[in-house]
Amino acid sequence: MGIMNRLLILILLFTCTGTAAQQVRLDISHVVGNMPMQLKVTEYHNAAGDTFTITVFRYYLSNFTLSDATGKAVNAEKAYFLVSEDSTRSKQLLLKNCPAGKYTRLSFMIGVDSVLNFSGPQSGALDPMYGMFWTWNSGYIMAKLEGFSPSSRLPNHMIQFHIGGYRAPHVTQRLVTLELPTPVTVSARHTPQVSLEADAATWFDGLHKISFRQTAGFMAPGTIADRIADNYQHMFTVKEVIHRR
Amino acid sequence: MTRKAIYLLAAFCGWLWIMGSSRDTLTAHAPVVEYYQLKIPDSLPPPVYDFKKNPLTKEGIALGRHLFYDPKLSLDSSVSCGFCHQQFAAFGHFDHALSHGVLGRTGVRSVPTLFNLIWQKDFMWDGGVNHLDIQPLTPITDENEMGMDMRELITRLQGNKTYKGLFKAAYGSEEVTTERMFRALSQFMAIMLSFESKYDSVMRKEPGVKFTAEEEGGHRTFMQKCASCHKPPLFTDYSLRNNGLPYLPSMNDVGRMRITNNTADYLKFKVPSLRNVLVSAPYMHDGRFFDIFQVFDMYDHGQEKGNTIDPLVKNGIPLNAKEQRQLYMFLNTLTDKNFIKNQDFSEVLITD
Ligand code: HEC
Ligand code: HEC
Repeated sequence: MGIMNRLLILILLFTCTGTAAQQVRLDISHVVGNMPMQLKVTEYHNAAGDTFTITVFRYYLSNFTLSDATGKAVNAEKAYFLVSEDSTRSKQLLLKNCPAGKYTRLSFMIGVDSVLNFSGPQSGALDPMYGMFWTWNSGYIMAKLEGFSPSSRLPNHMIQFHIGGYRAPHVTQRLVTLELPTPVTVSARHTPQVSLEADAATWFDGLHKISFRQTAGFMAPGTIADRIADNYQHMFTVKEVIHRR
Repeated sequence: MTRKAIYLLAAFCGWLWIMGSSRDTLTAHAPVVEYYQLKIPDSLPPPVYDFKKNPLTKEGIALGRHLFYDPKLSLDSSVSCGFCHQQFAAFGHFDHALSHGVLGRTGVRSVPTLFNLIWQKDFMWDGGVNHLDIQPLTPITDENEMGMDMRELITRLQGNKTYKGLFKAAYGSEEVTTERMFRALSQFMAIMLSFESKYDSVMRKEPGVKFTAEEEGGHRTFMQKCASCHKPPLFTDYSLRNNGLPYLPSMNDVGRMRITNNTADYLKFKVPSLRNVLVSAPYMHDGRFFDIFQVFDMYDHGQEKGNTIDPLVKNGIPLNAKEQRQLYMFLNTLTDKNFIKNQDFSEVLITD
């Protein structure tokens, strides 16, 4: 083997063995109750009996950690993801730089850390150009759901929920912890794939019931935002864990 | 062979280095910039603005100034920041009670003056904006102000030759991002300092500069009756308070309460600086007073004493005719002609 070839192999090994290569892939799909989410067209019903459609469904995820059976938690590389129903790519998340190990639990935050809500403009997924930053009352919109419902008394029967708030007492970041049905093994050679499902019906049918006749929108920090955040904290379930080479 | 291998290794290292360093989007290719030293008078408290995150450079300031005066930042290329914030009015809007924006639309508040912003923590009349660097987002996207979509704006500027040069000079690459734009605007606004009024000269005991007897009288009245909120040397303590200005049902502006949802904040507004106050009429968050004497009258006998009124003014501030005249003379010493004529802040004409 020539020195060139050996060097090439060395380089190849070097690029593969950094923790950068140790990744977990998350695939998110959106449903509403037991129906797949389809923007604009499909009609859904909430527990209050309102019919509605969804036009925008979008939220931030961050602070991903993995824990093993002993409870020891490790962090994936710090990253912010803006997940949006209208973008297939945004629903495929790559958690980078995950320490090797065998993990049984996945946790993450719905929302953006408080400090980044008062540190000026951020880049990447947090760029204010995505319309997820309030202009009149600085802070991120952690999650957004918009659509229409005949029950709504807003103009054009809109429903509009922009959930945010990072200052006590109205804090809307929520931590999600999911047990994995089978453990995932992270190593340089395995990029496990976890399929998650997020159910938008939980926003209105959770612990706090929302009826569009009474509340068709909320776009500021406040009690209703806190309640919807309490509701959507439970919107995720793990569908499947796939091991691939 | 070995040499070839070394070259390859070197190239690989170089590539790694580039990959690593390009993560920092703000200073991608380490531009050659000239740092700018801001001169802040010793008598002032340290600024709250964190320059470590946005170091001032001549190139950054030049870009910020260009952005500030560029009507392309608005929907129909008619309104720049400088259109509303006019230098001769200390960057307030002369003679306009409420702001005017694109397509002849009218806003709901008056245009505040802009200077000494690096001591300010919360912006807008209700303190709703929490960082100078994020402030431009509001006027740019507000449909009553510049009415622009941020993504469209970035595309628009990215296609402009002048901006390619300006962004490259400031940041090392031509890429236009929200963060770069807003930080550059902050740089320009950060250097807008106003500390060269007659009042400052008197306080610094500069030879030959003295208050007249009338100004001296006004100074005394001011220190007794106004300074607890309009606190020297910045002439504001940046708090939000209800000074007794009557509520106008037609405007329905509840002030700070809109931000906090807390009834204790009803009708609280930011205490504005009174530097350059005589060149920046009209007054108050809705610009309802065109004459400073109307303001004096309000404090003397025109307040509305709701339950959130500030304890300091809840009994009114009696001001007789003499005190009013002297206060006027004193406020006049707060006009900083060097500031409102400073060529470093003046309008740049943008034709492309
Ligand atoms: C249409 C007129 C208009 C335009 C254009 C405009 N502003 Fe303003 N500006 C205002 C008004 C009105 C306020 C106060 C708004 C409020 O309190 O709700 C304000 C507030 C501000 C403040 C906060 C000042 C303080 O003391 O709280 C800053 C800083 C500022 N503007 C900078 C800018 C910049 C930078 C631009 C250009 C990107 C700009 N403005 C464009 C009208 C305008
Ligand atoms: C309790 C605190 C307080 C005191 C004391 C006080 N002010 Fe004010 N002042 C305010 C607040 C708050 C505002 C803004 C109110 C608004 O816009 O609704 C204001 C606004 C003003 C304005 C309008 C400035 C502008 O740019 O629009 C002037 C002028 C003014 N005050 C002068 C005075 C004078 C003169 C005195 C003393 C006689 C005084 N104030 C005492 C709190 C105070």
